[in-house]
This record gives sequence, structure tokens and C-alpha cells, in this order.
Amino acid sequence: MGVAMKKLVVWIAVLAIVQGALSNIVVRPRYARDFAPKSTREGGQLPSELIFLQFFGFREFLAGMLWVRADEFFERGNYDAILPIIRLVTWLDPHYIDVYATGMWHLGYNFTDEESRSDRRYIPFALALGEEGAANNPTTYEMFFETGWMWFHKIDDDYHKAIEWFLRANERPDILPARRNLLAVAYQRAGQIDEALNWYFKLLRDAEERLAKHKEYTFRMNRDTIEGNVDNTLVRMAQRGHFAMQRNDGSYETGAYDTRPPFDVGFSARIMVEEPLVIRVEGTWNVLPVGTRIRMVLRDADYEFGVPAGMVWDHAKDVNLDPPTDLTFMQDSLYVKNRRFSRRIDLSKDPTMYPFSKKTYILEFYYNPRSAPAHMQDKFGWSGEGMTDRNFLDTKIREGQRVMYCKLEMTQDQILRRGEWFDRTPVIKTTNFVPPRAGASPEGEVIIVPGLRAGAAKEGGPAPTGGQGGNGGPIATGVANP
Amino acid sequence: MRVILSIAATSVGEAIRRRVLLVILLAGLLLLSILPGLSVLSARGEAANLVSTMYFVLQGTSVLIAIVLAVYMIPNEIERRTIYVILSKPVTRWQFLLGKYLGAVFAVGLMMGLMTIVALVLFWISQRPDAGRLAQLAQGPFMFFVQMCLLAAVTIFFSTFVSPLVNFFLSVGMYLMGTTLNSLYDSFVKNPDVNPLVRLAGQAVTTVLPNFSYYNVSNPLIHPEVEIQNPLTYYVNVTGYGVIYIMGLLIAGILIFDRREV
Repeated sequence: MGVAMKKLVVWIAVLAIVQGALSNIVVRPRYARDFAPKSTREGGQLPSELIFLQFFGFREFLAGMLWVRADEFFERGNYDAILPIIRLVTWLDPHYIDVYATGMWHLGYNFTDEESRSDRRYIPFALALGEEGAANNPTTYEMFFETGWMWFHKIDDDYHKAIEWFLRANERPDILPARRNLLAVAYQRAGQIDEALNWYFKLLRDAEERLAKHKEYTFRMNRDTIEGNVDNTLVRMAQRGHFAMQRNDGSYETGAYDTRPPFDVGFSARIMVEEPLVIRVEGTWNVLPVGTRIRMVLRDADYEFGVPAGMVWDHAKDVNLDPPTDLTFMQDSLYVKNRRFSRRIDLSKDPTMYPFSKKTYILEFYYNPRSAPAHMQDKFGWSGEGMTDRNFLDTKIREGQRVMYCKLEMTQDQILRRGEWFDRTPVIKTTNFVPPRAGASPEGEVIIVPGLRAGAAKEGGPAPTGGQGGNGGPIATGVANP
Repeated sequence: MRVILSIAATSVGEAIRRRVLLVILLAGLLLLSILPGLSVLSARGEAANLVSTMYFVLQGTSVLIAIVLAVYMIPNEIERRTIYVILSKPVTRWQFLLGKYLGAVFAVGLMMGLMTIVALVLFWISQRPDAGRLAQLAQGPFMFFVQMCLLAAVTIFFSTFVSPLVNFFLSVGMYLMGTTLNSLYDSFVKNPDVNPLVRLAGQAVTTVLPNFSYYNVSNPLIHPEVEIQNPLTYYVNVTGYGVIYIMGLLIAGILIFDRREV
């Protein structure tokens, strides 16, 4: 080998060392940080069997094509086929925010039974997907907002979590002005009324600054809306006795506030298993305005993440597209009309959603004024200070709130009408349950609509009673009268 | 240098006249032209899909062009015996090889430039983006071009000692390997179950082989809401990496070609 050749070989060696160092020390870390898909949660990494989908670096193209295909499945109503595509697309392109957002919504809302009740077992995974999407896209507000929205709207119970996510969304500069308002509503529903007002004032200041710079109709509308919200909140704070309660000088107890005296909602319920897996739930709710929805949950007694009238919604550490098929968790809303509710719930058509494979079940009824519309909150207050129930008022299951909570138990044999219940109709009821008058039906056409403030209980008759008081309430189990 | 450029210019002329390359180019342009009609998603999804498909066509076509072009650069000269005429003049073998490589790079650049212009015009027609967004989108094809330069160097290197058919599969294989290197590297480094020796071997292999995936920078370009701090530094670094690798490959190619009987 000549000298020139040797020099060339040395050059090759030097270049190889330089490229290796450049590659490993400089380029690869930067590539991993800014351009490669990142694993932020367990399951967020592209699985090893899919590594070859990255051939040619066409991950995004594949993701796009798969998403087009998912759109076709969606049009055809083939929802099950969409889930694996969502997972695949988010693996291939973790910045495809539309897929994360649509995937969350799809998991949270679209998997329903024959009677349009959504399968709540998917919600923890929807939240996990939202969390992964937010972690992969920290520079934009969208996934933070979407995850907050899931807590706010779908879960509709733990508003502190919604606040947490909305706050993070609000830290992002690209959040739309109109979407910032929702944080104030979440604060109110979490019982943080002063924070809600402060947030409205901050929004008002921002809106006025924007309007001063740009005299456009949109900005004026935005400012006016926030101003209206500030006014409404202040009026409600006064009328619901918030300021008086804060003063803590006894003026609330003596003042004529809308929330005084607490109104007895007179809850009672009876559950009849009419057929195997078909139950009729009926009862009373002594509130005249139409439209109250009482939450009802029927779940395994030993549901791992079960909490009163719900579950630990964010327990999932991974996005699992197959919910546990051996667990039962049914949540429904009982619509109240003319102070009664009656609903036939058929759980027989969706065996994968309601397997009823356990021996015992818990049936819960729950009403939280924080989720109520404003006209109901005007009477009940933000945290239930204007609401009571002589049998089922609960101040423990939700910290700082007065809610209605009733818990009953059922057995698998009762629900499936097996064993001793084969030829008898299982009836589980609170002892204060008063059967409806003959001919009176909550499904009737006539709606009686007096106001809450004008002694509604008197106008509509006394609240159904008969209980012995205390949480958990009097409960009777028996056989239906013929 | 004049000799090298002269060989390069001749090579570009030959490349432009080759029908197979023109067919690939035409297919690429046709695919690009129908892309705006394929979108069915939301406005943002539509834009993202359009850009990702645009890049897919651009990059895929460029890979084919680069390999098909470079694979025959030297073997054709040997087969047609024109190499004797060239080497009988005051042209050394290294000048010939370098000229051929530069010719391949210029030809690929020309064709990629044409496809990029068509893609950007179509994107502008369908999405009406501002100039800033167009400039941002042009960064992708630029990095693909550096990637193709590296790929052409790999192919030219192989063409100094293997037949065109073998070279074609070798180059395609190297490219496929090179685009999955980062994932392979991750699986070696992050997997606690991997034997340390195997991990070391994996690291060595991923260091030695050309890493084509570094040039796949399209994700933040497809999603403009993704913020990248100072991408120019990365582009400069990764271009430097490519240049160093190309220099190494060309020197190795020269060494082999210099000892080869033609």
C-alpha cells in the first residue's frame, strides 16, 4: 500500500470517528428531543413490531392514510374498528392532535349500549389518551383543554380535576379567548366562587385590553359577554348568601337568601327487577321544576376503583382499548317530571357491557347541586347549602358538599332472576317510598310548574316521607305486591 | 476541479436523457398533482395529510431516482467502455468517481427541485398559506436532498465493487436499515432485558451505518403548532454529519476503485 493510500485509510478512520461522535453526541439527542416520536407514558412508544412502519420515515403519511380510513369506518358506524387505528395513528404521529382529541371523545362518548348509555369503563382510557396527547403536545392548549372538558362535561363530578387541566390549558398562549371562560364555570362548580370571580375579572381586563387595541365586533362581544358573566356571578353570590356566609356573623342564618331555608328534596326509590336484566327504577324527588337528572350507578360491589357514585376515573396508566369485560359499571340519569321518576332499564341487550359476573352489586342514587343548572343552584346553592333530604343527605362522600346519596345492594340472583328469585319479582326500596297515585304517571303530558321560591313543597304537597333519617337511609327488600 | 465538474455536467446530461428516470419523475409529479383532491378530513387534518403525502411522494420518488441513477453511473461507463476514453485523458480515477458522484447529486437535485416547486405550488393553490409557511415547508425537501446525497454516496461506493443488481438491493437495504436505526437504537438502549454485549454491538452497528432517519424532520413541518427551538442548528449539524459520512464513503470508494481492474 502506497503512502497516499495509507493517508486515505487514515482519513477514513478519522472521518468515521468524527461522524460517530457527531451522530451520538450532537445529532441523535437533538433528533430524539425534537423530531422523533417520544414515549411519555407507558404504551406511548411505538411497539417494536411496528418499528418497520417507520421505513422511509413515512410515519406521518401512514398515520394520515390510516386516519382517512378511520373516517370511513366512522361514517359506516363501525366504531370498534376505529380504536386500533386511533392507537396506531397516535403512535406513528404523536403530534396529530385531531386524532388524540377525536379519540378521546370517541372513547368517552361513542361506545354506548342499546339505550344510548355510554360505557363508562372506557373513560379512564380516554383520560389516559388525553394525558398522553397533552404530554406529547405541550406547546399547544388543545389536549389540556380536551382532557379538562372530559372531566368537566363527561365525568361531571370532580371539577377540581377539570380546573387543574383548564389551568394548564390557560398557560398556553394559543388558547382561544372564548375557551378561557370555562375555567370560571369550573371554579364555580368546584365551589371556588371567589376564584371564579377573580378569573372573570382577569378575563375582563384582558378583553378590555384587546378591545382597546382592536376595535372589532368580536372583541367587543367577548368583553360584553365576560362583563355579563361578572354581573351574573355577583348577583348569584349575593342572592345565594355567599357574602353572608363569608362574613360568618350569623347574617346568613337570619337573612332572606334564596338558599334559606334548605329545601327537602324528599328522595325515595324503588327498584323492581321485572325480567332478568330488566329493572324498573321509580321514585320521588320533591322538586317541581322539570328536568332534574338524578345519577344512578349500578356496579360490582367490589369494583376495584369504585368510589361512591363513581370511580377513580384517572386510574388508567395506559391507553387500553379493551375495557375489562368481566366488570359491570352502569351509569344513567333518571329524568324527573312532576316530582317523580320512573325508568325501565334494559341491560339484557349488551352482555359485553353488563356481564353481571359478580355475586353482589351496589345501586347508588346521587344528586350533586354543583352539576345542577343555574336556576336550580339559585335554590340549592353551589354546594348544596339550600338543599336537604331528611333521609339521604350526605356531607361525607364529597368533601365540602351537601349531596343526596342513597346506596342499595342487589345480588346477582336478583338481577338475573335466578334461584329463589326465579318466580318472584325482587323489589328493593327505601322505606320512605310512596307509590304513585293511581293514574298519575311521570310520563304524563301535564307538567306542573310552580317556582321553587314560592313554597313549592306546599303547592305540590308534602315531600314523601317515612324514613328514619341518616345517611344510607332506610332500605327494604321484598317481593312486589300484586 | 474543472475536470470533475465537466464529468459531472456530462453525467447530468446523461441522467436527464434516461427514460427510466423520467418515468419515475413523471409518476412523482402526477401523484403530487392529484394529492389536493384526496383530502376528506377536517381543515387541519386535511392540511396535515396533504403535507405528509406530499413529502411521502417527494421522498419516495427521490429515493428511487437516487438509487437508479447512481447504481448505473460507473457500471454503464465500464460496460460501454467509454471509461477507457475518459481515463486515457488526463483524468485520474478519483476525479472520475467524484465527477460521477457530483453528476448524480446535481441530477437528483434538479429533479427534486422540480418536484418541490410543483408540490409547493399545488399546496399554495389548495391551502393559500403565507410565504412563511411555504418557506417552512421547503425545509423538508432540503433535508431530503441531503439524505439523497448520502444515499447516492452509498450507492456509488457499492458500485465500485458489486454489480448493479446487487448494488440496487444493497442500497435499498441500507436505506431501509438507515431509516429504522433510531428505533433500533432505542430498543437496544432502553430495553433492560438486552444483554450488555448485544447492546454494545447494537450501538456499534447503529453508529457505523449511515443514519438516514436523521433527515426525516417532517413531523414539526406537518404540524406547525409544534415548536422547535432553533431548527437551523440541527439542520447544520445533520448536514455536517452527512457531509462527513459522504466524504468517508467517497474516499473508501476511491480506494477500491483505484485498485479495480476495468
